[in-house]
Amino acid sequence: MYKPRIIGYLCTYCSYPGADLAGTARLKYPPNVNIIRVLCSGRVSPELILRTFREGADGVLVAGCHFGDCHFISGNHRTAKRIPILKKILEYAGIEPQRLRLEWISASEGERFTEVVKEFTETIRALPPIKEVLG
Amino acid sequence: MKRLEPLKKVVAEALGELEGVVALRAKWGGVAPHLFKGQEELEELAIAPKYPLPQTLRLIQRAHPESRLGLVARGCEERGLIEMAKRNQIDLERVKVIGLACTAEEAQACRCAKPYPGLLTDIVVGEKTEPVANELVEGFLSKSGEERLQFWKKEFAKCIKCYGCRNACPQCFCPECTLEDALWVETGRIPPPFPSFHLVRAMHTVGKCVGCCECELSCPAHIPLTTLYTLIRREVGELFGYQTGESLEAKPPLVLPMEM
Amino acid sequence: MEYRNVLTTCVYCGAGCGLYLEVLDGRVVGTLPAKGHPVSEGKLCIKGWNAHAFIHHPDRLTKPLIRRDGRFIEASWDEALDLVAERLAAIREKDGPEAIAALSSAKATNEENYLLQKFTRAVLGTNNIDHCARL
Repeated sequence: MYKPRIIGYLCTYCSYPGADLAGTARLKYPPNVNIIRVLCSGRVSPELILRTFREGADGVLVAGCHFGDCHFISGNHRTAKRIPILKKILEYAGIEPQRLRLEWISASEGERFTEVVKEFTETIRALPPIKEVLG
Repeated sequence: MKRLEPLKKVVAEALGELEGVVALRAKWGGVAPHLFKGQEELEELAIAPKYPLPQTLRLIQRAHPESRLGLVARGCEERGLIEMAKRNQIDLERVKVIGLACTAEEAQACRCAKPYPGLLTDIVVGEKTEPVANELVEGFLSKSGEERLQFWKKEFAKCIKCYGCRNACPQCFCPECTLEDALWVETGRIPPPFPSFHLVRAMHTVGKCVGCCECELSCPAHIPLTTLYTLIRREVGELFGYQTGESLEAKPPLVLPMEM
Repeated sequence: MEYRNVLTTCVYCGAGCGLYLEVLDGRVVGTLPAKGHPVSEGKLCIKGWNAHAFIHHPDRLTKPLIRRDGRFIEASWDEALDLVAERLAAIREKDGPEAIAALSSAKATNEENYLLQKFTRAVLGTNNIDHCARL
């Protein structure tokens, strides 16, 4: 029975507290996601994402602060540019770009976090396991 | 050789006001970059095959930052200079660019979209020729996702991780290259596991690749790297409105915050 | 200020790829493939790309050294060569030529390798000679 593994890189100041809020409010979301807290979504480099896929993640979720809210001012700007071009590179390489998702989630958006995770898990479930793609 | 004699004249004149001109020299049956300093050396000036001259210029300029140098640059080399200058790797104030237009055959071999310089210099030796459409890229776009995956898996399986693509790239200058970091690119396996080495490299060409084809020319496994990098370059143009190598003023997209 | 490229052949394997050594102000600083060369066709393997690396390497010996009391002391060429000749002759006298072996390197020139094997075979009287490429 295929259980998709999703790794979520959540930024310390907005999206991680958002996920935390989902936890304290006892909101339910699929257990397929493993959360890794990073200082800022701008820290998530393309090499890190590719290694995450290589290590067996079927999907990678990168969540950061909304524009203007980044604790480091412009970290999320870098992410906003990197992820779309990386998705295009994945598409040209034949890896489904839907496996990589970028979301802006604030500390108060616990419910939104659960919606995103539910949706993303279904998207990934419909795709083949990454081991079959990467070999 | 209709370009060689006019080029020799232009370089000879430039040598009057410069300490040296970086161009190609034919000697011992081969052609390689050389720093021409005297008129008598110009006997051996050559035009083809091309080499990644921006790297040579950067090497010399770093060792002699006060020098005034010239560079014989084709279209792609001029675009490379622009990208290097934006990243403070080359001081354009001390460089005189002598433009060299590529012939139709040379443009065809590189499937070049702009086979002549003109942004950094008014001197262009040779006639400007028409841009060449890239059928390999157009052919690739018609493949499905699954076909693309199999295509690249087959191509990258030939890779011997010689780092030729990285070494030959005129714009690659990082003293600590991510591709040599065992954290991101697994060591000890040939070919490097898909997709680490190549997609990391592809990501790092964003905003830097000008389509000179040196990477593909130096790949012992004949991997069609320029097909992938040309597609990415076009995407960078569409996503960020950034035409790599076309303007000294436009800042590299990934480096800057967005306009809000 | 001087920069030139010197055409030579790679020292490593038997393919014999042509490459250019980049010489900047009297020091070898890099390697370029020789485009149009019949063997290498403008391409190099990783050893070829780094064929220049050992030339100015800080680990290279620059002076004769003799081990005294467990430490390496600088000596003159005469002193070192006299010691080597004396000791090799003594070993050959006592234990026979088969007690001596010679190990050579791809980084030495063909001429140096020829000299060493001639010395080992004709002077020392043994064919215990090998080369780092065989290991």
